[in-house]
Parts: sequence; C-alpha cells; structure tokens
Amino acid sequence: MVTKTEETQLNRLEGQVENGGGGAWDYLCFVRKLKVRRSDKVLKYGLSILNDPKKRSSLGPEEWTLYEQVAIAAMDCQCLDVAKDCINVLQKRFPESKRVGRLEGMLLEAKGSWTEAEKAYLSLLEDNPLDQVIHKRRVALAKAQGNMSEAIEFINKYLEIFMADSDTWRELAEIYVSLQMYKQAAFCYEELILAQPTVPLYHLAYADVLYTLGGLENLQAAKKYYSSAIELTGGKNTRALFGICLCTSAIAQLTKGRNKEEKDSPDLQSLATAALEKDYKQRASDKVSVLGSALKSLKVSS
Amino acid sequence: MAGGELKYDMSQNAYIKLVLHALKHRSSAVNGVLLVDPTTTSSRLPTLSLFHNHLGLLPPLEISLIMIEEYYIAQGLGIVGYFHANERFDDAELDNVAKNIGDHIYRYFPQAAILLLYTRDASKNWKLAGSDGGSRLILKEPAANIVLLDFISSQKWQDVVDFDDHLDDITKDWLNPDLFK
Repeated sequence: MVTKTEETQLNRLEGQVENGGGGAWDYLCFVRKLKVRRSDKVLKYGLSILNDPKKRSSLGPEEWTLYEQVAIAAMDCQCLDVAKDCINVLQKRFPESKRVGRLEGMLLEAKGSWTEAEKAYLSLLEDNPLDQVIHKRRVALAKAQGNMSEAIEFINKYLEIFMADSDTWRELAEIYVSLQMYKQAAFCYEELILAQPTVPLYHLAYADVLYTLGGLENLQAAKKYYSSAIELTGGKNTRALFGICLCTSAIAQLTKGRNKEEKDSPDLQSLATAALEKDYKQRASDKVSVLGSALKSLKVSS
Repeated sequence: MAGGELKYDMSQNAYIKLVLHALKHRSSAVNGVLLVDPTTTSSRLPTLSLFHNHLGLLPPLEISLIMIEEYYIAQGLGIVGYFHANERFDDAELDNVAKNIGDHIYRYFPQAAILLLYTRDASKNWKLAGSDGGSRLILKEPAANIVLLDFISSQKWQDVVDFDDHLDDITKDWLNPDLFK
C-alpha cells in the first residue's frame, strides 16, 4: 500500500519529469519500489532512456531491469510491438531465463491468447512450482477471461501455501465484494486484521462489509470497527466517521420500540457528526450545508 | 409524464464526464448516477461520478446518494438513472451489483435507465440496457465525440473527481465545477 506522502512525492516527481525537469530514472525506480501502476508514464519515460544509447549505457546492469519494466508497461498500454522488442533484447542477453519466460507468457496474455499463455505458465510452474508471480498470473488470466470462480479457486489454492500474502487476501476480498459474496469477503478481512491489526484500512473495509451484510449484530460489530479505524487514524478518516453515523442510524431503526436501556448512547454519533462538521467547515466549506442536511436525515428520532 | 416514448437527452458535458471518468480508472469498474428535472418530458441529464473502488459496498453508496439527493432536491432534480462501466473492456453484461443498484433506483423512478459503457472496436458506443430495449439515447450535440477526443488528448480525465476521491480527501469537489471551464 502507498502512503499519502509517498503518493504526493511520486506525483511531484512525475510533474517534474513531465515538465522537462529531469529525474526520469528516479521516477521509474520509485514506481518500481511502490509497485504502482502508471504504465503510460513508465512507457514514455522508460523508452526515452532506452532509445538514447548514452543514457542507456549509463544505467549499467540496471538496463535490464528497465527493459523488463518497460516491457510490462508496454503490455499494459497495448503497445505490443514495443513489448516484443524489449523481450527480444532480454532474451538475447538472458537465454533460458525463467524471468524472461514469464514476460513471454505475459505477452501472450496481453495478446489475448489465453490457452497459449496458460500453457506457458504451466510449463514454467513445472520447473518452479513455488513461483508466486506465475501463480498470480494464472489468477489474472482467469480474471481477464471473466472466469471469477476459477480465479477464486486459484487464489484459495495459492493462499494454502502462501497464507501470509496480505495483498492476495485483499485481492480475494475485492473479488468477493464484486460478486456480492460478503460473508466470504468478511473472512478475508478478518485474516488481514489478525495478521496486521494496526492497518486502519482493513478495519474500515471490514466495517463496510459488515454494514453491507446488515442485521443488528453485524451493524454493532461494524460500529466497533469504524471506531477502531477512527482511533488508528487519529479521527481523520472521513469514511469511518460517516460509517459511525450510518451504523447508529441503522441500528436505531432496527431497535425502534425496544427497551430504552438497550439503546446505544448517542454520544458516539454526536461526536462523529461534530468531527465531520468541523472538518468540512475547515476544508470544504461549500459542502457544509449539504453535509448538514445529509446528517440530519440520518438522525432517527428516538 | 403522459404516455408516449420517454427519450433520454444527454448533454455533451454529461456524456464527456462519464467517459472521462471511465478513462481515469481504466483498470477498474466505475459507476455514476444520472439526474433529471422530473417536470419536463425531455430530460437533460447532468451526471455525477460515484466510485471506482469496491462498487459493491453499501456505506459509501448510501452516503453519496444521500448527499446527492440533499444537494439536488433544492434544485428540483432527482436521480433518474445509473451509469456503469465494467472492469473488462469486452464485458457487456450488467453484473449483480449494477443490477441491484439499478433496481433500487428503478423502484423510485420507473422511467429510470441503466447505461452501460461498452467499447466495441475502437469507438465507444452506448448500449441502453435495462427495462426498455431499443436505442432511445440521444446525444443533444453530435459534435460531442470530437470534443471528447480533444479532452482525451489533453488528458483531461485526470481532473475528474468522483465520490471516492471526495471521501478520501474532502477538499476534492464531487460536483466538478471547473471541469469544463
């Protein structure tokens, strides 16, 4: 995951390169480090370095890493000729390389030749059954063909071996949410929270899923996780604050007419409301009245 | 609204905004809502971009719909339709999330439409999915595609702010007041 500071840094660097201020290599290294997907920029700046023999030779052995990075970016932008050229260069330099073999498989994927790509990946897996990247490419292959159940099956098999891979748990959760399989998505987020309990995004996502599932118990649990997200982010997370308001309102609707003692105290909702109003007044003052009426419509009279 | 066919006029800006939003997030599904003034029969549709992440989660959807309603009720507009673009470019099916949201809107506004952005060949075409068949979507300004191409080449899509962006940073305005200035 990328922090806000890292994102701002990256954007600043990108702007600098875009306006002719240099720093293309730094930008490309940063993109590689953060593992973000900015293929159009990577392609543009990467090619400008690769097509200039002087710049290319000044990279030394990093030249090959750049070829790989540009090949992948080219495939993402559907510039398959560029990708093929980069892969050819790498093939000449590293014949019999598994890493280049991976790129060739990805090129088949990019062309839409699903069966050939699958064959290529399976043969690579024969020699190296624990290659995480190839396993993930097979999932991507299934997803690209719209075969979500196969993608899920592959991911689950992968997680049996690599159960600490949090990115994969997140991917699985997102797939489940897109298929409206919320219980399964909740399970994934539970695994993530267990593994990394101080990452507020997992608490937030879990709360969102619980709210979507609905029912009194889930709503009360969602409220708890929105609260922990607020605590972990020092009260700065707008989504969690809104989540509290939604939960309180929904819980109040469900418990209408019940014994007054069972009702939650209204403190939490008023605190969240106050925090939201303060933040909007400071940073988005034109939206304060919309916010006000929205929050009012959420308040259920007890 | 008396009998007869309901036509959907889409203003150039509304159309462009939807496509730009989809372009900004080309590796994910995106969605948005269409608004209308229910007192007129031929409706000009302004549009609002909603999300590009986790379209199937309820809390952000509820918050956004409440805020949109509160804002536009004062102007007499209501939510009339739902726009969806799938993650995969050749996926022309409405998935369950889109159907559920669309059904919800349809319950409140029976003439609602669901618009699915579907790329066929190199040109972007609209397919009118939902309760009615046939192509009743009219682009008021036929030069819209040319203006769109111009915006694409100047990478205008980076300026589109959707509700996801707003929830991540409330200083970003989901109304996009300066997009077409």
